[in-house]
Amino acid sequence: MRGIRAAGAVALVALTCELALGVARGVAADLAAVVARGELAWAADQEGGGPHVFLDPKDPRRLTGFEVDLADLLASELGVSPRFQQGQWDRLPLLLDRSVDCVINGIELTPERERDYHCSRPYFAYALQLLARRDGRLDSFERLGSSGPSGRWRVGVLTGSAAETVMRSRSDLEIDVIGYDGTIDSMEQVVSGVLDAAVMDDCIFNFYADRFAPLRAVGRPFAGGFYTILTSRETPALGRAVDEALGRIIADGRLKRIYDRWDLAGRQQILALRDAAEIPVAGRSSLRQLAVSSLPLLLASAGMTVLLSSAAFPLAILIGLSIAIGRLHGPVWLRPILAGYVEVVRGTPLMLQLYALFFLLPKIGLALPALVAAIAGLAINYSAYESEIYRAGLKAVPTGQFEAALSLGMTSWQALRHVIIPQAVRLVMPPVTNDFIALFKDTSVCSAITVIELTKRYSVLALSTGRIVELAVVTALLYLAMSWPLSVLSRRFEASQECQQ
Amino acid sequence: MIEVVALSKNRGRKRVLEDLSLSVAEGGVTAIVGPSGGGKSTLLRCLNGLEPFDAGGIEIAGHQLAPGGHPHALLERVRRDVGMVFQQFNLFPQMTALENLMLAPRVVSRLPAAEARSRAIGLLERVGLGGFAESRPATLSGGQQQRVAIARALAMQPRVILFDEPTSALDPAMSAEVLDVIVDLARGGQTMVVVTHDHSLARSAASHVVELVAGRIRRQGSPAEVLAAAAPR
Repeated sequence: MRGIRAAGAVALVALTCELALGVARGVAADLAAVVARGELAWAADQEGGGPHVFLDPKDPRRLTGFEVDLADLLASELGVSPRFQQGQWDRLPLLLDRSVDCVINGIELTPERERDYHCSRPYFAYALQLLARRDGRLDSFERLGSSGPSGRWRVGVLTGSAAETVMRSRSDLEIDVIGYDGTIDSMEQVVSGVLDAAVMDDCIFNFYADRFAPLRAVGRPFAGGFYTILTSRETPALGRAVDEALGRIIADGRLKRIYDRWDLAGRQQILALRDAAEIPVAGRSSLRQLAVSSLPLLLASAGMTVLLSSAAFPLAILIGLSIAIGRLHGPVWLRPILAGYVEVVRGTPLMLQLYALFFLLPKIGLALPALVAAIAGLAINYSAYESEIYRAGLKAVPTGQFEAALSLGMTSWQALRHVIIPQAVRLVMPPVTNDFIALFKDTSVCSAITVIELTKRYSVLALSTGRIVELAVVTALLYLAMSWPLSVLSRRFEASQECQQ
Repeated sequence: MIEVVALSKNRGRKRVLEDLSLSVAEGGVTAIVGPSGGGKSTLLRCLNGLEPFDAGGIEIAGHQLAPGGHPHALLERVRRDVGMVFQQFNLFPQMTALENLMLAPRVVSRLPAAEARSRAIGLLERVGLGGFAESRPATLSGGQQQRVAIARALAMQPRVILFDEPTSALDPAMSAEVLDVIVDLARGGQTMVVVTHDHSLARSAASHVVELVAGRIRRQGSPAEVLAAAAPR
């Protein structure tokens, strides 16, 4: 789990490939190579959900969705067979530099994407729809213009989607926009009451409307655009071939049949696609503009990273120390319970624990704000590791120390507090510092439950500006600038302790 | 001051103390001698409840200890009145000598800091370490550390002090420093029980000597009688 989203790593890998010129170029194959290979590798996120690409509920081994049908059709037009590649939705385009020929997964056509990738002609017209609970106060889009019953409206969107861009740009609305990694997540959160509303492509809501019966569409779709197939700029022949294939299947009605089969209003789709207008291409921002626009955002998110770790770690220490003392000196019946806690917490991923706190607790009526869930999750997860360190530290203090303290008439607690714990703390200082630095970087996992910290901010900025490497370097430097002083402080403390010996 | 009646203790299947009876008078110094593994230290650790026992009874400084586990509150009361000095000193390494002496009077007896400090300074002077109040244990010699440990026990003004091999970890010169302190305490009328295999310590400090062999008392009486008969070591 540690460093699962190490921004630096992603970008450095990209950079390394960049440097290893020929090798990297060879990976993304142009049309001739695709044909020679007999295989079109296409990327999508099956977690993104229906109706695009999802696992068939009747046979969860099988991938289905209208984009799966489209990929099959496209591959056969190119005379090859399709091969699916899983990726996280907001990072799918990065796969084009790697092993993937194209991305087909509800990628909205935007000027930024036209700048960075080859975007095919549109293959689907989407519209953005606002959703809310049937029994809620939100009954029209206009209502978002003034505050709700409990302040600003909380609106969930899919991270990196057009819905996010559109809602974040609406400074006229009294809303807080919260990004989720999956489309279904935001619907769940509206049902459980954590969110007031969600905004997504109307086809997604139509598809899941039965499953989320407490939700309804509020107002008409209010914005829209087109989906495009991304290919790399390095494979122009493949890009042209995709465009031509799309042209053929739009013209001869085969695409319409796919949409009709998925109940996606095939005729309307085809009419919209025929009329699709060219979207102007925007220029790349200069480094200066990048610094001015991105640095304040990165610094603010670094603040969130500091807040998360400095709030979670003292809690982890407190819980961990209590567990260690309980296991060594507590009542006998308590010890196996504490040992079980440590095993369960240590043996399950932090990401899963955060999901449980944030997505499952609301189901039993305990809706924690994302920040609270994040801090609690980190504290609980690290308390297990801390407790093992303190247990080792406490055991490393000679038993003679405990006996000497007891022989002076102290209670067990007084002996621990005045004699044993101060000695144990000195022993465990290096591993505890180590853990603090680890926790500090693990805060990046919190983006899974909508907390925007440094790594998340990096990945959002990198995708919207295309400056992947530059931003990764700045982000990595920010992390170093924060963790370095910690290491120095810890070494000073150790040195001062050695002097006292 | 101490009455041990028919004390027995097992460790697993092994009987380490068997039907042992013993009495220590107020103001007296009792030395317990005998071969290693004879149960000397175990007996001492039973006296302040560091170890439970299986049968018999102990009365010490007015408290009654019964077989089996003891309630915490009773143990804390017993230990306030019964000091202990260990073979390995067991000073608190993160504290100065003065802090070692002040800790228990402060947290156990709730003595005001000023009073605890003046008591501690007086005791350090009494064991000849007036100039070492601010020294940490690691900077002191073994003999000095053991004298601080004795002063630390004295700081609680115990009615009895138990010594577990107080000079065994020390070379002869340092042993002599510690012996001087113990003899000085004996002259002052401090009740003490000293487990030792150092016969010179028993001879010069003890008023009564008990020889323990294989968990039983083989002989007891005046130092001259018992030590003459005991196996020379």
